[in-house]
Amino acid sequence: MAISAVARETVFALRRQIAKIEGTLPERLQAPAGAPLDADGGDADLTIVRRGLAAALPDAFLPIGLERLDAALSGGLPKAALSEIHGLETRDAGAVAGFALSLTSLILKRAQGLPVLWIGTTEIFREAGFPYARGLQACFGIEPEQLLFSEAPKLVDALWVAEEAARMTALAAVILEIRGNPQRLDLTATRRLHARAQSAGRPVFLLRQAAEPEPTAAPVRLIVASAPAVPRATVAGPLAGSIGRPAFTISIGKSRTALPGQFTLEWNPDERVFDERRGEERRTDRTKNPVPVVSLSGGRKDPAAASGAVLAFPALGSSGAISPTTGDQPPPGQRPAHLSPRRAG
Amino acid sequence: MISHRQGNAQRISALDERAEALHLKRDMGIADARAMHPSIDIVEADPEADRRLLEGLADWCDRYTPLVALDGADGLFLDVTGCTHLFGGERAMLDDILSRFFHQGFDVRAGLAPTPGAAWAAARFCGDRIVDGGEEEALLAPLPLAALRIAPETRASLESVGLRTAGAVMAAPRAPLARRFGATLLLRLDQALGRLDEAVSPRLPVAPLSVERHLAEPVTLTEDIERLVGLLATTLKGDLERRGEGARTLALLLFRVDGAVSRIALGTSRPMRDPRLIQKLFHERLAALEQDIDAGYGFDLVRLSVLAAAAFDMAQADLTGEVTDDGADIALFADRIRARLGEGAVLQPVTVESHLPERAVAIIPFSEAPRRTTPPKRPDRVQAPKTIFPPERPIRLFRAPEPIEVPATEMPEGPPLNFRWRRALYRVTRAEGPERIAAEWWREASSDAAASTRDYFRIEDADGRRYWLYRQGLYGNSQTAPRWFMHGVFA
Repeated sequence: MAISAVARETVFALRRQIAKIEGTLPERLQAPAGAPLDADGGDADLTIVRRGLAAALPDAFLPIGLERLDAALSGGLPKAALSEIHGLETRDAGAVAGFALSLTSLILKRAQGLPVLWIGTTEIFREAGFPYARGLQACFGIEPEQLLFSEAPKLVDALWVAEEAARMTALAAVILEIRGNPQRLDLTATRRLHARAQSAGRPVFLLRQAAEPEPTAAPVRLIVASAPAVPRATVAGPLAGSIGRPAFTISIGKSRTALPGQFTLEWNPDERVFDERRGEERRTDRTKNPVPVVSLSGGRKDPAAASGAVLAFPALGSSGAISPTTGDQPPPGQRPAHLSPRRAG
Repeated sequence: MISHRQGNAQRISALDERAEALHLKRDMGIADARAMHPSIDIVEADPEADRRLLEGLADWCDRYTPLVALDGADGLFLDVTGCTHLFGGERAMLDDILSRFFHQGFDVRAGLAPTPGAAWAAARFCGDRIVDGGEEEALLAPLPLAALRIAPETRASLESVGLRTAGAVMAAPRAPLARRFGATLLLRLDQALGRLDEAVSPRLPVAPLSVERHLAEPVTLTEDIERLVGLLATTLKGDLERRGEGARTLALLLFRVDGAVSRIALGTSRPMRDPRLIQKLFHERLAALEQDIDAGYGFDLVRLSVLAAAAFDMAQADLTGEVTDDGADIALFADRIRARLGEGAVLQPVTVESHLPERAVAIIPFSEAPRRTTPPKRPDRVQAPKTIFPPERPIRLFRAPEPIEVPATEMPEGPPLNFRWRRALYRVTRAEGPERIAAEWWREASSDAAASTRDYFRIEDADGRRYWLYRQGLYGNSQTAPRWFMHGVFA
């Protein structure tokens, strides 16, 4: 059954060549059980490289600092690559931006003082808000002097700026924020970004708000949503009702190792590291929404399926002040003119 | 024929030779003119368009001298002091101006004199005449009073006492003239005769440095223009080096054969003199403007001007001849982006001392120069104590706070139970606050302090998203009900 050693050697050599041509990153297998995975990625001895590829440089990956997540990503996020960070809806923009910025903050720990460029279209900055330097400084330790923004009215211009920026080694990271699934940002455009990021050795984070997954050249796609924060920790225990450190729910949409997974991370702004969420009981699964998405139709045929994503309004609970019927009524000023009381005279 | 409205009647304001041949005159009523010749073509006067045309011509005249001024609605002053030798003398220059204007289809009268007043008179009353120094009096003496640029009323009263030519006024005693007709008459006379200086204020600021190239064969291709920019920038480099400066603002002027002038300006983040970089920046700018620049029959004069310069520090290279400066990369990158996408394409935040969240960070165009936005702290002044826990601030802030509907709050002063933002309903699970931020009374004195006070809340909704809301106004304190706004989102 066993193929001869010579044949296997040939196959490995060919694979190596293919990997070299494609410029793919070497992949790692999970470290054997019992051997602790070094969170800093500095220990190359533990790395077992799949399919006989050359051992990865210890610096090629940015360890997120969460054992399970790093293992699923085969060592962390590739440093010199395009990485996609998705948000399912535009209102997740805070979580998506927060996760990308915490990754940037991890990078800035190593590359002190280099600026970060955040490129966005006018649309996304209007819809999701403009980055606020005071908050970034407090939460991620990114100084206002390190921040550069580029706002382009058109996507073409934003992509051009991103391509120019991706080849610069003087930037610590480039963040490109796009809304939806535009035609322009196809496989070719992302491949160009990825190639430039690879040659410059700098990460490019592609933030996509309210976007569907589609084929791109990015080796990693993470889908980020916000998770409920744990209460603030005080000397006397957790402070009830308070909102503590920011937390994110990460699911891996695409990676080299193709290991799926969902993780809840908590960002520690003081230490500037990620912690895994310990209080598992607080985790809520957004897919298991108890509210029916569409009310059942009575006696008639089902209506045509709504186009696009259908949002579920959560149950209103005890607050009887807003019943669905009154909530749907337009305010008096927006009623049709013929229904409004006519003024005498 | 061009008509304009004067008083209550349409009158002829300008007319061409063929209309003149029909014995029509200026200021004649349109009704009379139509009665004489029913087939005349009448166009309504458009002073705005005339003004634009004159400014276009003034731009084009920039090729002769940087000091070009508008004179009323139909004239241009060109201060050609020190420029005539570039065109082969005064006569050659005047002929060049006249022939180029003629080929563009303009009927131009020009005069050249040592004083603006004399040149004005020579252009309008003699035509194509060059007046040498000292000849002003001989030029003006036989001319009518209108040549002195005086108000029509003064002219009429001078004529009523029998002074009908400029020579007669010059011969009259000065003191009675001044007493009876005002100082303006003598001022104009002295200015025309060169006894008093008259300043011609140029339309555009004069560039401290500019280099230009006249082309025998007009160029149309963008690549050719870029190459010419490179050549001009090489010439400019020497001048800048002698002055120890680098360019901060550059302007490229393209003079088209038929008189249109394109002006392309760009700014740099740090002083610059390397011709290669200047060419690169103009490459981006020209690529962005490709649609707007109409080469037409080609450009026959290309000029590169330094509008603003700043001291340029030389950088010492190391022994391998390499200068490693990341800042230079960033500056050049920002310049290229801005050259193509405009001044606001690369922005940087600057913290400002203000407690209002939207004023605490100013977003300004990227620049290398450090800006001091807050006054330096004086050590003897009492500093506000620094809080150990800085207030929580969102990571994204909406440009304008978005109004939200809040149907109910648990307590009047408390956080909302649920709210409607962008037509979606959000249920509040946890809230922190309020953090009260009052308006800056020293800026807006008129507004009601209680009505503009904001109470900020950190809100977490059922899905774990965190928002920053505020209520503007206080319950029961003012006439208007408090309103709620969404101001930012947290990570």
